[in-house]
Order: sequence, then structure tokens, then C-alpha cells
Amino acid sequence: MSTIYSGSLAPFAVLLWPLLIGLVPIVPRWRANALRLLPFAPLPALGFAMAGAPGSVVIPDLMLGVQLGSGPDTSLLLGMTALVWTVAGFYAALFMARGSAAGVFASFWCLTLAGNLGVFLAADIITFYIAFAAVSLAAWLMVVHDRTKDALAAGRVYIALAVLGEAALLSGLMIGAAAAEDLQISTVRAAFADAPLGSLGVGLLIAGFGIKAGMVPLHLWLPLAHPAAPVAGSAVLSGAIVKAGLIGMVLLVPEETGWRSVLIVLGLLGAFGAAIWGLSQRNPKAVLAYSTVSQMGLLLVLAGAGSQGVAYAALHHGIAKAALFLCVGMMMLAASPAQRRAVLGLAGLVALSVAGLPLTGGALAKLAGKQGLSEMLALAVTLSSVTTTLVLGWFLIRLAQIPAKPQQISHWGGAFVAIVGLGVLALVLPWVLWSGIVDLPRDYVWRPPNMLEGLWPVLVGLGALAVIRRVKLPEYPPGDVLHLIGNHKLRPVFQLPVGKQGVQYRKRATLRLLLMFKIAERWLLHWPVAGSTLMGVALAVTAMVWIAS
Amino acid sequence: MTTTLPVLLLLPSLVPAAVTFFLPQDSHALRNILQLGGAVLKLGLIVWMLVAVATGATYEAEFPLAPGLVILLRIDALALLFISLSATLWLLTTIYAIAYFGTKAELSRFFGFFSLCVAATTGLALSGSLISFFIFFELLTLSTWPLVAHKQDKPSLAAARVYFTYALPGSAALLWAIIWLESATGPVLFTEPPDLSGLDPAALRAIFALFIIGVGVKAGLVPLHGWLPAAMAAPAPVSALLHAVAVVKAGAFGVVRIVYDVFGAENMTALGVGVPLAIVASVTIVWGSVRALQQDEIKKRLAFSTVSQVSYIVLGAALASPLAMIGGLVHLVHQGLMKITLFFCAGIYDERAGIKRINGLNGMGKRMPWTSACFSLGAMGMIGLPPLAGFVSKFYLGLGAIEAGAPWVLAVLLASTLLNAAYFLPLLYRLWFLPCAANTKCDERAPGLVLPAVVTATATMGVGLLAASPISPLGWATLIVTQGYGP
Repeated sequence: MSTIYSGSLAPFAVLLWPLLIGLVPIVPRWRANALRLLPFAPLPALGFAMAGAPGSVVIPDLMLGVQLGSGPDTSLLLGMTALVWTVAGFYAALFMARGSAAGVFASFWCLTLAGNLGVFLAADIITFYIAFAAVSLAAWLMVVHDRTKDALAAGRVYIALAVLGEAALLSGLMIGAAAAEDLQISTVRAAFADAPLGSLGVGLLIAGFGIKAGMVPLHLWLPLAHPAAPVAGSAVLSGAIVKAGLIGMVLLVPEETGWRSVLIVLGLLGAFGAAIWGLSQRNPKAVLAYSTVSQMGLLLVLAGAGSQGVAYAALHHGIAKAALFLCVGMMMLAASPAQRRAVLGLAGLVALSVAGLPLTGGALAKLAGKQGLSEMLALAVTLSSVTTTLVLGWFLIRLAQIPAKPQQISHWGGAFVAIVGLGVLALVLPWVLWSGIVDLPRDYVWRPPNMLEGLWPVLVGLGALAVIRRVKLPEYPPGDVLHLIGNHKLRPVFQLPVGKQGVQYRKRATLRLLLMFKIAERWLLHWPVAGSTLMGVALAVTAMVWIAS
Repeated sequence: MTTTLPVLLLLPSLVPAAVTFFLPQDSHALRNILQLGGAVLKLGLIVWMLVAVATGATYEAEFPLAPGLVILLRIDALALLFISLSATLWLLTTIYAIAYFGTKAELSRFFGFFSLCVAATTGLALSGSLISFFIFFELLTLSTWPLVAHKQDKPSLAAARVYFTYALPGSAALLWAIIWLESATGPVLFTEPPDLSGLDPAALRAIFALFIIGVGVKAGLVPLHGWLPAAMAAPAPVSALLHAVAVVKAGAFGVVRIVYDVFGAENMTALGVGVPLAIVASVTIVWGSVRALQQDEIKKRLAFSTVSQVSYIVLGAALASPLAMIGGLVHLVHQGLMKITLFFCAGIYDERAGIKRINGLNGMGKRMPWTSACFSLGAMGMIGLPPLAGFVSKFYLGLGAIEAGAPWVLAVLLASTLLNAAYFLPLLYRLWFLPCAANTKCDERAPGLVLPAVVTATATMGVGLLAASPISPLGWATLIVTQGYGP
């Protein structure tokens, strides 16, 4: 027997820990209080990332040979993910109902978390795929947790797209692995260039990752799922889970391929289009969801252009967006005007950072991201701040409209402090990490042209916001393209009813196709006839062959 | 010792069969001891042999039946893969069947044929020549008929009749192919590939087609699959065994033997019959899945799922690249584990809660957590969710397809994944997320039924989680391919 593992078990333990916590609700007596453990599930990962994600491990017998380890980009996002999940878990532990559904929620939360951490720790494609599947599929429960009609409809769209994405991803990975004859992520990525169906493989990967990353036009699930999920769920979905798609693009899409420009084009479309479409939303969480599509579009542009700052920018966005979603939750629970003002102030500050106001973490993220971009793309990134300001300004307006809660809720202050901490980290962490990661002098941030580049789009955006406030904006349900098709509660194919009840005639074409199968099947079942025919044919063939020879 | 061992492997099933037939219906204890004892003994023998065969040893036993007709029993790595699966699942199914039937009528007849069926499967796996393969193939057909008809009610008898109308022409085709081939080449032993140069390609193609029709009936290849959903009228333990190891697997195993040991992968490619076979397998995969989607009865849905999944094995053989073959062979075991879990559970739902249709599953997750958890694991494995068993097979098949230069197979696998998700995920949703319908009486206080399901469900997870270890089915399949068929 060979060795069970080689290397340091730390990265493995970091993944195992949330899975073990996820098992706690199996004991009925512990079920109701399982939520309390949620903030502790990501802590080992957080510590591991803060220590610089040291060590890697190979466990040859597990699955198809598990390899864990992380590089500079992945360890950055690993830390961000663990941080976001910790604070969101804290929020969930304080405010989520402790009913019988809490146990299920806690289990799926932990499974999703483990998957989310796993995509940043995996060094081989199988482990990566398993982690990706876990984060994709288990997150479904967060979407449907409330069991409302909207949540279930969003869940259907979510799971249909997630399964499609998984299938596309697996096919793409198979093409890569077959060409590489190896399972290591870096080898597989390199193999796409010369692989016989390499281009198709990369396309499939982009589709699979794009669904997760909210890449237009595969983002459909995102604006449906975020408003439907509980606040803590939205925070991790938008902050951390969508980054699983982004890291996939960064790790596996090779540089020298035409697909990169597709990423850039679709990214730009999302960056501007989604931000503007967000103005048609009333629910602040839906507005934020569109902002996420927009920001992910921007990050996809960076990934497509091969920017070195993509993980750094993603780190900022993840923390900031999670803080904004949690602000929505705090606003819904806020009772006194002072509390509401505090939430609005924090949200405003974080929003300005996302928009890239000079000297905020967001400004640093943008500067680092633009580094190495062509002038046109750099300009586009700068311009995107205008639409970002616009949509986040609109978000703040909608946030202020949330009605106050009649009475105080306990623990509000404690939770708010945690979220303030998260917001402050969004502003400050890029400063702390700058010199270690970004290949630019620190005073680069202070240079007047760079300051100006961050400032004017925000000012223009604020000006536009002032104009827009005076006009009545159109209102659409979330889910743009689905909505435009006319039926945003599309029943995926597998919801097709069996039997006569509830047959959806809208799906006539599909049904007709299925009916054809049924009729054909019945026809095939005349075996005595078919059997003798077959025998006859075989006999004739034999006779012919006999004569011929 | 080396010559007696293959015979010794048959005895733990044959002796209980012979004795059980003559036991009075009331001697439950003796019958159960015989059955379980045989199963345990056989499993022990196999574990002992696995170690020896892993190091390259083979065992042979020869009985000349008539000049030119040699019954050859031979234990090689491929045979052991199939036997260890059947022996493990036989033991579990025996436990399940004993709990399932309790003290119902005609049990001596049932368990007699049940043992005979397993003996036939074992013999089939051990067969080292075409003629012995055929004999056990027929024994299998004959011994499963009474099992399908066991309930002796109208649907069972009709199902058994359908089974026969499919099986007999299949046997005829197989026999025909064997005679045609052996008339030109002499007796075919699996160890030495026959010299096919005496036959012209057209004849070889016709023979290949006849072979595939012959074993394809059992493997449920479309359009020869009609008996399989019909056979659902059989009692749950029979369905479980039929779908997981005995009949359909015998067919799939036959395809593997014919492709690799009779024709050889190179000849198959040279004759240009590999791609048509892969297409038939692909059509079957998609067809079975689409039809499964349309079924309202749990067991029927599972039956069509079997039609679809068994063709993965055929597909792996047809593609004829090493990785595809590993994928196909490992699916022989993986599909067996997953499908028997699902059928065990379907039987428990039926027996303990009276649930036959999928809408009855609503809310059963809370009421019958063990059964539902096992069912969920089996279903997720079928979809191919990592790290469960089905994922490993699918991944190897996909790699093998590309290796064999047939990337279109990826589209088939993709479609199959989506369709599997489409017909299994709604069941899981019903189990765990919908409220329970009425106050249906249900319980799981039947360890004899639940325990086998738990064991196979755990195995479904285990073989996936530890796939890379040398003692896993994947490790064994890799050994077979590198030892026997590799470059």
C-alpha cells in the first residue's frame, strides 16, 4: 500500500471541517441550534488563508487522486470567501428562524461553503469539479429556502441552469483531460491549445463557468435567485459563490484563444447593460443582483484581457457586495431612525467604494485591474464607474424606502458591528494587500491623473442620478430575458407532468416529441413480429453471404 | 487445486439450489441457512481468489462434453470482476428476499430457482469458451423465467411470456452465430482469439451482428429491450437482481466477451462494426432516458433507467479504447451497486408504505429517512454527481470516447446526464421537500430490507470516494485492461 497522503493536511482539514459541521443537524436534538455553528465553519479556512495558504497535499487514493494547494490568486479569493461566509454565517446565526427547516439550511450551507472553498484549493480538475458541483447544486437550497412561489420558481430556473452548467463543464474538462492525459489544472489548461476539440472544450468551460459567474446572457438565474434567497444566502451567493465561476475562467481558460475576446465582449455587455437594467427594479436586492451581474461583467473583462489584478479586484467586490446585501437585511430589521441612518451611511460608503471613488478600496481595485489593459478597455473600465454609481445610487434610494420595523430587535447592534467590520475591510483591505500583490508603487494611487480618473465618473454618475430621480423609471419583474420572452416562470423540461393532470399545452412541441417516443416504443414492442422479421433478415443476409463466398 | 477451484465456485450456489427444491415450504430456517451459508461461503472463496488473481494467477477446469465441445471454466480478472459483484449482491439480495417474503407461499421453489439463477450467472462469468458461455446463458434464461412468473397472477405470467418471446429468438441468434463462427474456426476459447482470416468480412459482420442481437436482448439494447420494463411485474428482490447483476449484466458481459475475446478490438475496428455498435448503444442510452422520463410508476422508471445505463457498458466496449473500456467495465460494477440500491428502496416503499407511483413519494424523506437517503444516493450516483460511483464511470467513458476519436459520444453523455437529472431530481425533490400526502401508514422497522440498501448505498459512495485506490472496482477494471487488453 502506498502512502495515504503526502504534504500538509491543513488544506484538507480546512475543507473537511465545514463538512463535519454540516453533519451536525443529522442528530435531531441538535437540529434547531445548528445555525449557531455557521460562523465557525469557515474559520479554519480564514486562518489558513491569512497565514498565506501554506502547504499543499496529495491524497492519491481519494477520488481520482485529490491534489490540494493554492496559488497567489486563489489564496486571495480563499480568504475573501472565508471572510464573507463568516460574517454571513454570523448574521444567519443571529437572525434566521430556528424552525425545523433550520437544520436542512445549515447542512446545505456547510456543503455549499465547502464547495466554495474547494474551488480555490483544488489543484486537479476532479477535485475542482466536485467542489464546483457542490457549490452549484447545494446553493439551490438557499434560493428556495423560503418556499414562496417566487423562490420556487427561481429555484427551478437556478437548478436547470446549474445542471446544464455542470454538464457543460464536465464535457469541457473531459476534452482537456483527454488531451493532457493528466488531471492537474495547469496541465489541462495548457493542453487545450493543441487539443483536437480544444476550442469546443474551452467554449463549454466558458458556458459552464459563465452560468455561475453571471455572464450575460447566462446570468438569468441571478436576478431571480438573489431577491428570493434569505439575506445571508444572497450575501454569499453574490459575494463569494459567483467567484467560483470567475476563478474557473482564470484557472482553466487558456490565454491564447479567441474565446478570450468573447469573454471581453460579453463582460462589457454585462458591465453596462445589467447596471442600466437594474434601474428598472424596485426590490433593493434585485437592484443589487443586477449590480452583481454588472460587476462580474467587469471582472470577466479583466479575466479575458489577462489582467493581473483580477483576483485583487474580485476580492474587493466580494467583500463589498456581501456587505451591501447584509445592509439590506439590517435595514429590514432596523427600527429607530438612528439605526436606519447608520445602515444607509455604511451602505453609501461601501457603494462609493464599489463605484471606485478615489482612495477607497474599490479605486485601488480598479487601478490594479486596469494595469496592462489596452487603452480602450481601460477607458471602458473607467466609464463603467458611471453606470455603477447610477445603479448603486438607485439601490440606496430603494434601500431607504424599506419600511422601519415597529419594535427593536435584539442583537441588532452586534450584527451591525460585524457588518461595519466587513464594510471597512472592503475599503481598507486593498490598501493593506497592495504592496504584496500589485506591481505598482504605493504612490501610484495618489497621482493626480489616477485620482481624477476615479473621481469624474462618480461625479457624472451622481449627476445622472439626480436627473433620473425626477423621471419615473419603468418597472419590470427581475429576470430580464426570461421576462422578455414573456414567461419568467419557465417550467424546465423535467417538470413535465406525467399523466393527464396539469398538462401544459404551451409545451406542445416537447410533448409531441415525447409522444413520438411513446408511439415508437409501442411499435417496437410487437416483438414476435419484430423478432421473426429480424430472424428473416438475418437469414437472408446469411444466405447472401454464403452465396457470395 | 487449480482445476477444482472454478467448480468449487459453482457449488455454493448449485448445492443450495438442488437441496432447496426438495425442502418443504415450512422449513424456513433450514432454507435460509442454506441460502445464506452458500452466499457467505462463495463470497469468502472469492475474496481469497482476488488476491491470487491480482498477481496474475488463473485457474482452469475443463470438461470435454463431446468432441469439439469443451466446457471450460476459467477464472481470470474479468470473470472475477463480474463474480465478485454477483456474489456480493447475491448475499445482500438473499437477506433482502428473506425479509421480503417472510413466510409467503412457494418459497422453496423461489429460492431454488433463485440459487440456480446465481449459479448460471457465475457459470457465465467463468465460461472460458463460447459453448460453455451459451450453455450458462440458456440456463440463466430458464432459471429466471419462474422468478418473473413467481406471483402467478395475470401480469406476472404475461410478463414472463413476454420475457420468453424476447429471450428465445435472442438465444437462437446467439446459437446461430456460434455455429457459423465455429464451423469456420473450430471451438473458440476466450484465451486464444480465433483465427478469423478464413471468413470474409461480410460474413464476419453478419456473425458479429448475430452475436450482438443474441446478447443484446438480455442487455436491453433498443429495439430489443421491450421485455425489461414488462418484467417489472416480478417481486422486488427479483427485479433488483435482474437489473443489477443477473440478466442485463449477463448481456452486457456477453458484449464485452464477444468484442474483446472473440473478435478482438482491432478486428472490430477493422470490420467497421465498432461505430455502429456505439451508435446502437448511444441510441439506447438516450431512448431509455427519454422513456424513463415519461414513467409514472417508480419501478418502470427505474427499468427504463436500466435500459439506458447498461448501454454505458456496451458503449465502453464498442469504443474499444483502453479508457473507454475501463469506464465500461467499472460501470458494470457501479451500475449494479446503484441500481440494486434503487430497487431495494423501491421494494421497501412498496412493501412498507404501499407506494408504487412517484407522487406517493411526497414527504417520505421524513417518514422513511434511511430508505430515502439510500434512494437519494443511488439516484445522485445515476445522474453522475461526484464523488459517487456513476461519475467515475462517466468520466472514464468520456475520456475514452475522445481517445477513440469519437467525441460525439460526449454529446450522448451530456444528454444522458441531463435526462438522468430530469427524471431523478424531481423524485428527490418530492422525497425531501414536499409535504407528506395523507396519513399513509409507513415504517422502516424491517432491518432485513433496509440494511442491504444501506450497504449498497454506502458502497455507491465508497467506490466513488476511493476510486483511485487499487482495490476499488476502478482499480480492478484498470488491472483487467492493462493485463489483458492493453497495448
